[in-house]
Amino acid sequence: MRRGLIARSLVELPDAVFDARLDRVRAAMRDAKLDALVVYTNNTRPAGVSWLVGFVPYWSEALLVVPREGAPYLVAALTFRVKTWIERVSRIGEVLHNPRVGLKAAQQIASVQKSATVGVVDFDGLPTGIADDIHEGGPTLVLNEAGPLFAGLRAKADPAEIALAGKAAAIAHQALAQASGGTLNAMIARAERQARLDGAEEIYVAAAPDLARDLRFMRIEGEAAWGKSFALRVTVAYKGTWVRLVRTFCDAGIAAKAAARLAQAVAPLPSDRGFAGFTSWLVEGCRTTQPLEPLMGSRFGAANPPQSGAFVSVQGVLAVDGTTVLVGAPVLLGAPSEAASLVIDPSYH
Amino acid sequence: MLAEERRLRLAAAMREAGVDHLVLYGNAWQGDYLRYGTDFGILEGHGIALIAADGAAELYLDSATDAERAEAEAPSVRIHFAPDIARAVGARLDRFANSRLAAAPRRFLPRWLADPARSFAIDDGTALVDRLLMHKTEGEIAAVRRAAQIADEAYAEFLKVVRPGRRQYEIVADIEAHLRARGCPDNFMIIGSGGKDVLGMTPPSERRIAAGDLVTTELTPAVEGYFAQICRTLVVGKATDAQRRAFAVFAEALEAGIAAVRPGVRAADVARAENDVFRKHGLGEYTTSQWTRVRGHGMGLFADSKPHILEDVNTVLEPGMALIVHPNTYHPEAGYIVLGDAIVVTERGAEVLCKTPHQLFEVAA
Repeated sequence: MRRGLIARSLVELPDAVFDARLDRVRAAMRDAKLDALVVYTNNTRPAGVSWLVGFVPYWSEALLVVPREGAPYLVAALTFRVKTWIERVSRIGEVLHNPRVGLKAAQQIASVQKSATVGVVDFDGLPTGIADDIHEGGPTLVLNEAGPLFAGLRAKADPAEIALAGKAAAIAHQALAQASGGTLNAMIARAERQARLDGAEEIYVAAAPDLARDLRFMRIEGEAAWGKSFALRVTVAYKGTWVRLVRTFCDAGIAAKAAARLAQAVAPLPSDRGFAGFTSWLVEGCRTTQPLEPLMGSRFGAANPPQSGAFVSVQGVLAVDGTTVLVGAPVLLGAPSEAASLVIDPSYH
Repeated sequence: MLAEERRLRLAAAMREAGVDHLVLYGNAWQGDYLRYGTDFGILEGHGIALIAADGAAELYLDSATDAERAEAEAPSVRIHFAPDIARAVGARLDRFANSRLAAAPRRFLPRWLADPARSFAIDDGTALVDRLLMHKTEGEIAAVRRAAQIADEAYAEFLKVVRPGRRQYEIVADIEAHLRARGCPDNFMIIGSGGKDVLGMTPPSERRIAAGDLVTTELTPAVEGYFAQICRTLVVGKATDAQRRAFAVFAEALEAGIAAVRPGVRAADVARAENDVFRKHGLGEYTTSQWTRVRGHGMGLFADSKPHILEDVNTVLEPGMALIVHPNTYHPEAGYIVLGDAIVVTERGAEVLCKTPHQLFEVAA
């Protein structure tokens, strides 16, 4: 449930950025002979709609309809009372309010063209209730999976997204730099507060409280004992862009060596050859609507390797001078034959 | 302890309904059904749990990060990391094609799983789980009670951190940190500030608090996954006569709503008791959906559970239900005002969990 700052910045996300993205989408729709594109959003799958119009629901769900001609419109289950808020925080021309968003969206599309061909991003994953309502509202609409089309369009980060990623990474870094206190909860509270004060839309903090016992991150509830060496991972959203950053609290020299090893490991991405010597590793990024989808990793191979120019987050476990270190940072992939690089130095001096 | 209690209740309900396998869906917005069966609080991606008739749970997650977290946090559940979660669950359900399957909440299941082309058919089991979610055990009520206490404490902190010149998101940052420092990992919170131009609450904005503002908030911390809510309104500076008059209507409506709570009445009766106060004062228009969403709702593993307190909801209240009663709406002379208490339905009526006074608070301008 999103509860950080949600505000539009015309400096960071000017109209021209959304216009350029929509132009690319419409060109692809023409090539694919789609009359409309439908993108689902809720607060766990916001990344498609936020990329197109900047809207992030804090609660509830909505469908964005992008007609091949004409302005996109949002069909939201949120009530009419938040209409002005939606208009203020995003670039949406028209907001329609209806608890049955699928029904209303389909009726709107069918009112223009009864048998329109509609691409639905992540159609297989669309909530059943909404899919049923789309069929009810537009029984003669032709519905196609548009996930791969959309993923191709947004695979390469544009300058605005790279700038937002840099800001999100800086927020995450500052949060981890501020993490101090007499208890693990106090440390997490300081990190969360700092991130929210710096404008984070959301922050999740997970902890691996005692690396001598368990390397897995977990959400801490109540009091938790911590070991000599422990790690925190922050996941920060800033204006629709998500990053993860990991800090192991251990000898500073060892942490710096781990950061350097991570920088070397990510350089060959999307090749995984840099991770030889890591105990485990994971690359996540946004393809369609999930902000941090697993793309490749030591547990599952290269399921969806990122493309050149993509922006991803990388986590890994490695041993440095006999000490186990958890490390992670956002990464920008280069053009073909160019090295990928960390967006921020994940060390703390 | 709570997880085991829930597992047994779920298994018993499945047996009674003749369900062989229950499919529970969850995400970070609507995670209550999934948490009920697995005790895992999902944060990212989709989660789908398969619950066997004996209560044994398998949990499929399409977020690698959350799958690792689930392995650490829900050790009694078999965790599967499944990037293509619908097809992974489908492959498992293929083996149960002759069993009776039900899903909750079915409307959220990925469309692919509910497609008639599958070898299995999944009935709607939402009502089965809803009954369990609404009718809480003593252990569950105890968690709600602790969450309500934390909500009271957080509102006391809210009164300290609201000051002119501060931005809404800075205030929320302070409250989140206050809760986090006390080991509370989850909270639902929205806020509003201003005058008669404000129609409701939203996530925090960059707006600075100003003298004369009405500042509204819903604070909803969770303990062991169970949410409890408090709604209060404050004035920055001295409240005007109009603000006091307006607030008195809300206080009267809240008391009427709480007084209406007892076993056997319907959710509609509570809503009507609240709304009748507004109607008596000539403010009936402001009880409609144009101005307000609900007059309260259930609380538990979801911050906005069933039943919704509305005049057309006929759910019968029974002991063991946890609710928030909140006649929140717009008042034409003052703006948007909120006032609400977490309560538990007992044999004798409502036990009010929130201890913060029903007061239009004033903070220094």
